[in-house]
Amino acid sequence: MKIAAWICLLLPLASALAITLAGTGISRRVAAYVSTLTTIGSFAAAAVAFVEMLGKHGGQRAGVTTSWTWLSAGPYHFGLSLLVDQLSIVMMLIVAGVGGLIVAYSVGYMDGENEERRYFAYISLFVFSMLLLVEGGNLLLLLAGWGMVGLSSYLLIGFHQDRPPAVAAAKKAFVMNAFGDATMALALFLLIAHTGHLDYASVFASSPTGGTVANLIALGLLGGALAKSAQIPLHTWLPDAMEGPTPVSALIHAATMVTAGVYLIVRTHPLFEFAPKVADLAAGLGAATLVMAGLIALVQTDIKRVIAYSTMSQIGYMFVGAAAGAYPNGMFHLMTHAFFKALLFLAAGIIIHALTGEQDIRRMGGLGKAMPHTRRAFLVGSLALVGIPPFAGFFSKDSIIAATLDRGAFGYCLFAACLAGAFLTGLYTFRLYFVVFGGEQSEFAKEHLHKPQGKLEGPLSMVWTVTALTGLSAVGGFLQFGRVWHPLTTWLDPVAQPFVDASNAKEAIASICAVVLGAAGIYLAHAVYAAKTIKVPKPVTLLEKKFYWDELYDALLYKPAELISQGLGRLVEQPLIAGSIGELTRGFRLGAGGLGRAQNGLVRSYALAVASGVAILAVVFLSTR
Amino acid sequence: MANFLVWVVWCVAAFACLASALAVVSFSNPFYSALSLIGNLASLAVLFLLLSGEFVAAGQVLVYGGAVMVMFLFVIAYLGDRTDESPWSGGPSWQIVGAVLAGGAILAEVCVVVGLKAAGFLSSPHHVTRSFGSPEAIGRLFLTDHLIAFEVTSIVLLVAAVGGVVLGSHARRIEGDART
Amino acid sequence: MHGPDISWYVVLAALLFATGALGVMLRRNPLIILLSVEIMLNSANLLLIAFARLHGQADGQIFAISVMAVAASEVVVGLGLIVAMGRRHVELDVDKLRTLRG
Repeated sequence: MKIAAWICLLLPLASALAITLAGTGISRRVAAYVSTLTTIGSFAAAAVAFVEMLGKHGGQRAGVTTSWTWLSAGPYHFGLSLLVDQLSIVMMLIVAGVGGLIVAYSVGYMDGENEERRYFAYISLFVFSMLLLVEGGNLLLLLAGWGMVGLSSYLLIGFHQDRPPAVAAAKKAFVMNAFGDATMALALFLLIAHTGHLDYASVFASSPTGGTVANLIALGLLGGALAKSAQIPLHTWLPDAMEGPTPVSALIHAATMVTAGVYLIVRTHPLFEFAPKVADLAAGLGAATLVMAGLIALVQTDIKRVIAYSTMSQIGYMFVGAAAGAYPNGMFHLMTHAFFKALLFLAAGIIIHALTGEQDIRRMGGLGKAMPHTRRAFLVGSLALVGIPPFAGFFSKDSIIAATLDRGAFGYCLFAACLAGAFLTGLYTFRLYFVVFGGEQSEFAKEHLHKPQGKLEGPLSMVWTVTALTGLSAVGGFLQFGRVWHPLTTWLDPVAQPFVDASNAKEAIASICAVVLGAAGIYLAHAVYAAKTIKVPKPVTLLEKKFYWDELYDALLYKPAELISQGLGRLVEQPLIAGSIGELTRGFRLGAGGLGRAQNGLVRSYALAVASGVAILAVVFLSTR
Repeated sequence: MANFLVWVVWCVAAFACLASALAVVSFSNPFYSALSLIGNLASLAVLFLLLSGEFVAAGQVLVYGGAVMVMFLFVIAYLGDRTDESPWSGGPSWQIVGAVLAGGAILAEVCVVVGLKAAGFLSSPHHVTRSFGSPEAIGRLFLTDHLIAFEVTSIVLLVAAVGGVVLGSHARRIEGDART
Repeated sequence: MHGPDISWYVVLAALLFATGALGVMLRRNPLIILLSVEIMLNSANLLLIAFARLHGQADGQIFAISVMAVAASEVVVGLGLIVAMGRRHVELDVDKLRTLRG
């Protein structure tokens, strides 16, 4: 199991290094295949570790393997250790599995790109970083992986370096994530100060159980989770991150990286249990994001951005679940969300690929007849997203909604928010579906629809991966069903024991409400966009401006910083620093000029200099004797 | 009485010395300056006599006054009577001030230094015999204790003589080339 | 010793030296400068002789004779240079000889 864990972690790193070092020595195809095969190899290693774990009993399933002491400073020692337990193996399988499918998809999607090798090196780097994050045996390695996924995200969002919006989006993502990294680092400092350890077991055993310090630690960790998972208030980077290639959006900004925040909360759940107010804050922010993102998604016109806001909203669900104490439910939704969100993105990618890069849904329409397989895949993904049985989302989302009923008054607020979100999800998802696939083909689509020869709607690698994800979205939900059949909860029990447990009745109520509302959303979308019986309403400016968050941050943070830097440049840099150099040279020139006048060529002056020297030296020698 | 006479002679000689030195640096006509230097040398010889340096005094008059100054006068006569209209002018503005300061500083320092360092010695002059400073004593010292100084000095004189001949012949050769 | 004691000679020699130094620094005619150098050398001679008398050792007088010989040699060379300058019709003004200008 330990060896399998190391192989799982290091294969993508080896691939990234190999592609980087080989440079243009290998062909683009070879780089693509290397990356894909190593990711699939990682998945195989994770599966081996999983099988080994199945063979053991519950308490013995966790294993920590340390290769060497990474950091040793005084009384503090941090090892390069991997933790393979029930929680991390779930994440490893998701990351490597869905990641493998998406990397395979990008073999076809990125075919023909000039910088294909760079893409695959970065993708492999990302897979390695994410695996480091989930496999890390102490918080220091988690933070290292955290930072590296942020780096990979920056590199991949800004992959098209010659496009200024992409570069700007990459910077925005990185800066906001850096803010989260900083709060997390502060939390780690507090933990070191109060416990002296960073590995999970010691930290959970000896961290303060309440009071200000516990709240601060949880708050710091929450800050990092908010930034990485794009929840309010650090959410504005996610829609802009859609500037990256579609597989990147699928892998990083839907399936894995943005769910790292949820993983963090579940992994460090004892710390959050010690700070219940912070956990409530997390749940509240998740609920707020849920609703807000759903509203904004109603007016977006870029296909990828609709899906991005949907991701934000679904992660809100996961936050509600994890912060409310229903850890297995949160993880379950993480898993199913990875399936259907990746599916939606990749299917959108097929459409974008077929339309040679067009992403505006107002120029799409009626693609259902031309691309039936994609339409079916998209339909499955959408139904899973809305939570219609028997698709995956139904089981996972409803379990979270049910868990909120168990938390008292605050829980009822969360419940209401979740139900509102379910309605909105149905509405915006099927708005997208009907606009893109229903109706008549738009002028643009007629001109530009480019289908390759043969029956496939896109390159082979893209089609089979989408098909695989369709299957997973269809059946993935059967892993857990309320209190009747819950192997995932049992599996995760030693690591993350939930402290909310909804009764059967509450489960039933929650399910029925969610499904009804989701179906109502679908019906409304059908009425507006397909049957056209209700007129399309004009978009509300508030929603179009995405609730003015970008403008707020611009005024609050960017403008003052700009003013300060310009002011400093004018008042300090110019006169003091640049000016001092100029003044220094001027002073030297003056001095040299002045001294140069002493060499006037007159012998008499030189004689005077000699006489003066003698006079002065005589005084010096006298005084020192 | 003898003391008084000595004092009188000393004052006259010292005064003449200083006055002629000032005259050397003040006259604009170099001829007069050279003549003043001869006066300076003579008064110095008198002072040497007062200090029991008979041989040195004689040597001063003969060598300095008789040879060196004659050479000077020859050259001045050869080069013509170049009288400077403004002997003290020229050079940068700080030259005069600087020169006076430097000269004054050296003057003060010499007095102070010698006063400070030689304080103990200055007040008790040695008692000397009559043969102090006589040619016999000088000769003995030159040829026994200070033989190397004697020989080196003679070499220096030789070098100077050769240099003089070379400088003179060089000029003549240039003249020869210029004429043809 | 009769007459003034050593400190008078010290002051006199210092004055002579200062006068010679002023002459070197403030006159433009090289001949006058040479004469001023002679004055400085003579002042040193005076001091040597005086201290020789004070200590009763004639070594000072030996030193003074050597100084005289060296001064004579230096005058020979200096005057040879000045005559050479005169032959080339170079103006006898040290302020005009400025090729050492930095």
